[in-house]
Amino acid sequence: MAGLVKEFASGVYNLVLGMFTTGKHLGRHAITIQYPKEKWTMPERSRGMVVLLTDHETGKLNCTACLLCMKSCPSGAINIEVIKDEKKKRHLKEFRLDFNLCCFCGLCEEVCNFAAIKLAPKYEFPEFDKSRLSWDKDKLAEMGLDVPYEKPERRKPVAKTPAQKTASEGDKKEATSEKTTSADKTSADTADSQPPTADTPVEAKPETDKDTTKAEDKAPADEKKDDAGQEEDKGQ
Amino acid sequence: MELAPVFAWFYGLLESLGLGDTLNEIISEAILALVVFGFLSLVALFLVWWERKISAHVQQRFGPMMTGWHGVIQTIADAVKLLQKEDITPSLADRGVFFWAPVICFVAAFAAYVVMPFGKDLIVADLNVGILYIIAITTFTVISLLMAGWGSNNKYALLGGMRSAAQVVSYEVPLALSVLGVVMVSGSMSMNEIVKSQAGWAGFHWNIFFQPLGFVIYIIAATAEANRVPFDIPEAEQELVAGFNIEYSGMKFAMFFLAEFVNMFTVSAIAATIFLGGWNGPFLPSWIWFLGKTLAMVFLLMLFRWTYPRLRVDQLMEFAWKILLPLAFVNIIYIGIFAKWLGW
Repeated sequence: MAGLVKEFASGVYNLVLGMFTTGKHLGRHAITIQYPKEKWTMPERSRGMVVLLTDHETGKLNCTACLLCMKSCPSGAINIEVIKDEKKKRHLKEFRLDFNLCCFCGLCEEVCNFAAIKLAPKYEFPEFDKSRLSWDKDKLAEMGLDVPYEKPERRKPVAKTPAQKTASEGDKKEATSEKTTSADKTSADTADSQPPTADTPVEAKPETDKDTTKAEDKAPADEKKDDAGQEEDKGQ
Repeated sequence: MELAPVFAWFYGLLESLGLGDTLNEIISEAILALVVFGFLSLVALFLVWWERKISAHVQQRFGPMMTGWHGVIQTIADAVKLLQKEDITPSLADRGVFFWAPVICFVAAFAAYVVMPFGKDLIVADLNVGILYIIAITTFTVISLLMAGWGSNNKYALLGGMRSAAQVVSYEVPLALSVLGVVMVSGSMSMNEIVKSQAGWAGFHWNIFFQPLGFVIYIIAATAEANRVPFDIPEAEQELVAGFNIEYSGMKFAMFFLAEFVNMFTVSAIAATIFLGGWNGPFLPSWIWFLGKTLAMVFLLMLFRWTYPRLRVDQLMEFAWKILLPLAFVNIIYIGIFAKWLGW
């Protein structure tokens, strides 16, 4: 009997306690926002809209048309067209990003050595027509104008030292020599940097090198992408 | 401003037209019915909105915000939408029963207001069996729920209807016994007399101060009567999807929905009338006191809904018969002793 009374009392106490908790929450302010009217500022590093970054000093895109992002893109959302001038220097002709395909994984940002592409904390870009979600270079650059970023240190040309030249192990060499020499050299470097990012063994180097140069000769971006796919197959 | 003189003035106007007593009576009753019906429809629409707002704020959301000031006309938009929708009858349903179930539910919910004292002299018909009439007429709801469950030809609907019948029949008993305590003290079953018996202490001689146990029993049983959480097993959405109204759509669903909220207002109004002194109160007009007390009770029921978990069927029955019923008897004995021997 005493146990029953105790249980009853504790039950009543808990019922009242529950009511007080509900009442307390009733008085609190809502933690949600009225979405279309007020918008939430996303965290600085959140992965939203993909943009191309511009060098604010020169006003040019940071992109060097190395095709790394295109190759690393798992869904094939990036299409790059490259032209070479008479000195065989590579120039970005067109950069197309199809947001229908993009999965916002951020791999393109990760492989980029020049801070040229970034996933900005912008999230609202719906369209009524699917085709309008495929953005070109100008649109991507325009969206990236107000996105803050840090220029990587290694962008600045560094004078080559003999020690660095002899050190043939991949990454460090690339990092120092990337921007220094001619177009041929740059393309070689690009090919070099492919294996570590795409997890392909080092032996694949000659093949990838050849494939990349072949890809450059063909202008249409689609074929180039196919080549990139083949190249990965060969590498593995 | 009291509302009773307005109606009296209107009746005088009607008499001055010289239509004869019978016609006068018919017209005035029809107008009264329309006024009560309109008022209750508005109340039901308001309660739906209020429920949504309270649930939203308890969960720290905003709730409806777009239509009107803080979404006040949201339910009107919803009702208009429901009226436009296709009225579907399942092909294997019992058509007659299926059609009449929401009508009976609706009518039973509204019929209780015939004897409800909305304010001083503001009562449609002061029956001398007022509270008994209300208890009887609100029980019609359970017949309609059973009809809806049976007529839908749906297992969930049938389960919901059966549970509802079991629940309402069980909780009817402690509810009536808790009301009996008030009737014993006031010596009348007329709603107006019950209110007048609480007029002392400048309008604060409320029954709740003398019969707190009866009030608690009434609130618990009334929550079950109105099929509200934590006694909403007839429409437990996790088990029965929607219970008895699962096959209903459009207008008929709207009738069930409105009837549910009118029922909630009914039990709150009865609680306000028989336990909280009805329209008694200083300074403010009587109908404001009535409305304020009733809405306070509705608010309490809504807070219940967003606080307590649902009971199981067996717990529900056990609670009604093993706990509430003995408590109700204790309440009656205690009131009998105090009211008769000590002479309240």
